[in-house]
Amino acid sequence: MSAIHLQGLSKKFGDFTALKTMDLDIADGEFMALLGPSGCGKTTTMNMIAGMEEPTQGRILFGECDMAQVPMGRRGVGFVFQNYAIFTHMTVRQNLAYGPRMHGASRPEIDRRVGAIAELLQLTPLLDRKAERLSVNILQRVAIGRSAILEPAIFLLDEPLSNVDAAFRAVMRTELKHLQRQFRQTMVYVTHDQLEAMTMADRITVMDHGVLQQVGSPIEVYNNPANVFVARFIGSPGMNLLPGRPAESDRGMVIDLGPVGLTPLLPAKLAQRLRGHGGDVLFGFRPEQATIAHEGRGMKAPVTFVERIGARIIVHLGQSESAMKVVLDNDARVSLGASAIITPHMESARLFDRASGAAIGQGA
Amino acid sequence: MTMAVASENEMSAPAPKSSAPAQDERARLGFRLTLPAQILVLFISAFPLLMQAYISLTDWSPLSGTNWWNAWEMWNTFANYTDLAMDGRFWSALWRTLVVMLVCVPVEFLLGLALATLFADDFPGKKLFYSILLMPMMVVPAVAGYMFFMLFQSGGPVNDVLSGLLGFPVAIAWLSDPKLALAAVMIADIWQWTPLMFLILLAGLVGVPQDQIKAATLLGANAWQRFVTIVVPKMKTIIIIALAIRVIENFKIFDTLYIMTGGGPGVATETISVYIYKVTTQDLIWGYVAAIALAILVVLSVAAVLAMKRMAANREAAA
Amino acid sequence: MKRAVPFEIFRYAAIFAALAVTLIPILWMMSMAFKPIGEWSATGAELTWWPKEPTLANFRFIFGESSSDLIVALDRTALKPILSSLLSASLGTIIAMSAGTAAAYGLSRFGAGQNLPLALTQLRLFPPMAVMIPVMIMWAFLNFTDSWWGLALIYGIVTLPFAFWLMKTFFDDMPREIEEAGLVEGCSRWRVFTRITLPMMRAPLASAALFVFILNWSDYLIALLLTTREWVTIPVYMASLSSSMTGQLYGAKAALGLIAAVPPVIMGIAIQRHLVRGLTFGALKQ
Repeated sequence: MSAIHLQGLSKKFGDFTALKTMDLDIADGEFMALLGPSGCGKTTTMNMIAGMEEPTQGRILFGECDMAQVPMGRRGVGFVFQNYAIFTHMTVRQNLAYGPRMHGASRPEIDRRVGAIAELLQLTPLLDRKAERLSVNILQRVAIGRSAILEPAIFLLDEPLSNVDAAFRAVMRTELKHLQRQFRQTMVYVTHDQLEAMTMADRITVMDHGVLQQVGSPIEVYNNPANVFVARFIGSPGMNLLPGRPAESDRGMVIDLGPVGLTPLLPAKLAQRLRGHGGDVLFGFRPEQATIAHEGRGMKAPVTFVERIGARIIVHLGQSESAMKVVLDNDARVSLGASAIITPHMESARLFDRASGAAIGQGA
Repeated sequence: MTMAVASENEMSAPAPKSSAPAQDERARLGFRLTLPAQILVLFISAFPLLMQAYISLTDWSPLSGTNWWNAWEMWNTFANYTDLAMDGRFWSALWRTLVVMLVCVPVEFLLGLALATLFADDFPGKKLFYSILLMPMMVVPAVAGYMFFMLFQSGGPVNDVLSGLLGFPVAIAWLSDPKLALAAVMIADIWQWTPLMFLILLAGLVGVPQDQIKAATLLGANAWQRFVTIVVPKMKTIIIIALAIRVIENFKIFDTLYIMTGGGPGVATETISVYIYKVTTQDLIWGYVAAIALAILVVLSVAAVLAMKRMAANREAAA
Repeated sequence: MKRAVPFEIFRYAAIFAALAVTLIPILWMMSMAFKPIGEWSATGAELTWWPKEPTLANFRFIFGESSSDLIVALDRTALKPILSSLLSASLGTIIAMSAGTAAAYGLSRFGAGQNLPLALTQLRLFPPMAVMIPVMIMWAFLNFTDSWWGLALIYGIVTLPFAFWLMKTFFDDMPREIEEAGLVEGCSRWRVFTRITLPMMRAPLASAALFVFILNWSDYLIALLLTTREWVTIPVYMASLSSSMTGQLYGAKAALGLIAAVPPVIMGIAIQRHLVRGLTFGALKQ
């Protein structure tokens, strides 16, 4: 019943296309993150699911039901706003009771439900406090409780952690995930923070410029990005992408990366996919999945910059098109300006079509 | 729109600490800058109040042939005040003023709020309509009084429209019928000052956080429920301000009314200001006028202080 | 959110009704101002909504041209009352704005004059009628009665609260960095105020001045009490435009009313943005 199906959904504001034709199925009970940079259409998508915006085209179904004629108050959707939109002139109790009150529940019924939800969210001691000056983590719980009390089949969360300072975000992430396990509802979670999406979501929908880029589990999206955008966007830093051309060596297939030199031998699977392709490619590998040596043969580039981030160091190598980063343990010895030999872990390397940006032979 | 209800301690900007000579310069300049305003305030409050208090204890009149400082020659102690307590015309003028206020202010408020609600979101023509609807409050009140004087003539447009609507000739003598004259005066006041309510309430209305309204909608509240549970509570302070302004201004009602009816027919539209004006210019018993004026000032001051205390207490309770 | 069509119809219907009620009195006076005496329709004559024979005769009449239709001749024209209104309202505005701006700055930046907000709010609370006796006595003593400068002084005091509060909210909103930069460069605080702050605040100053001017221009009661003949203002003069022979000089009054009403309406629309701020003493900004 509470699965969500978006069919050919699109939204235009005047001349501006906020969302191009989008198809997406979210399973019952699934935690789906809509991930993308600001302006990618993720919030628009969610607002349409909630009924705050009307789609320009396409359908939204909850289970079998078309939502086109159902106004926002009757969709049975819980919504947590970016700033929580707590009714500041009310107490916590009044906030929680608001939904049942508007639905005409009886006084004892309201009390019972408020009591139950407050217990669940550990809000009981705060029930009679004014909502005005509560801390963010309490506000978040009130916002969730206020929606959850109506037992909506679907929960929508609009960047609920973006107002929280970094130190606190980890705590809130854990708390949110914990809550979702308790409620077991379908959750759609909008965020621009990949860490949130990665840690909490069952699946991630990556979007950019109103276009759906990829749908998959966090590990899929990380390991097998569908295109160059996803490859760069996911991971921090994102995947290295070096322009090159396939070349045959005596032992098998490699990529000629121009000034950087030749890659190590491509694994058989990758080589096979490439055979059917031909033409220019982008060679991609994760900065975490490479090693650096000072001598030897292979991909060669000068070290241009070393970033120290505590446990790790990020080594910047090469320039312009063939710039890349490699993440190493902080005891690695790298000298600035010196040439380094980069050896990517070839099993996790990926290839993309240079013209279209799409992954070559996706689906392994 | 932002709301900034100034409380006592917000009145002054926190001054960054600096060296003593700089502090001196700041204090000196601050004193000099505020001096002209202080003098003007003192000039209009302290001395006149004392003078008024003094005269109010005498029978002095500008026709009595002595200068006001010699008014003690006509000392009558509290006779003016005891007269005032039994002055039927004064009490009925006060009552009339309150009736006008109790009719006009709520009507203006409700009409203004209704209009503001219609203007809360965007629609074609909004800016133009908004500007036009604000026009009455900018019309010189005396001129507005004259407009309504013309409109309510028995051969005037109001009767003409009524004739058209009812289908038979109407010739109501609005301004010479005691009851209708008061109604006409109130209509003029409502015409002129509903825009002020509209303006202030609209500013308050657009300041209600949109996402809270959306949140209420998502929780199943219909338009009326949203209005009662979210919009009105959020606008409480603004509503109080708007009502306070109109109550204060309406109590002073004079210009429009005096031009329309001169307080008449008889004393049918005589409000406090009109009554004082008449005693001042026609009866010329200024000792008595001073007593009336002082009594009003004292009552208003007490009311104002009580109101402010009440509001401060509310604010504290909310904190 | 999409609104239902019936709501839109209701909205426009209600707004058009409000617009009609708003405009009819104003349009009626406009139309009256251009009507010849035959269409004034005090009694008996048929009521005309729009002048059948529009004429400027009413305007010419109040500026001194004798009219054969009206039988009466004015013993003085509208010129001097207009001048009186202009002069008193302008000087009143200058007084209120100078004292108000300086005090607002003194309070906003140096915390001086802590008593002013309350004192000035009280000043607005009281009916002018209740303080006019001492004012009339003082003005007579100072020989200010029936003069535009005497009017201007009391106008300046009555509108001082508005000037003060408006400017205070403007100063409070103004970023201080620029002033601080001026101080760092060695300007005195007075110089910063006159050379940096005031020029930067030109637009708010103009808005506040217009606001105060409208209030001064709108006065009737004070002028009624403090002017008698020489320097009566437009509203006072207007009330005198009637004669025992013809009764109310409707058209002439309407013409004068139009002259009095147009400038503040235009100014008011020009400073629309700041009206809320000025009227609520800065408790509410738009």
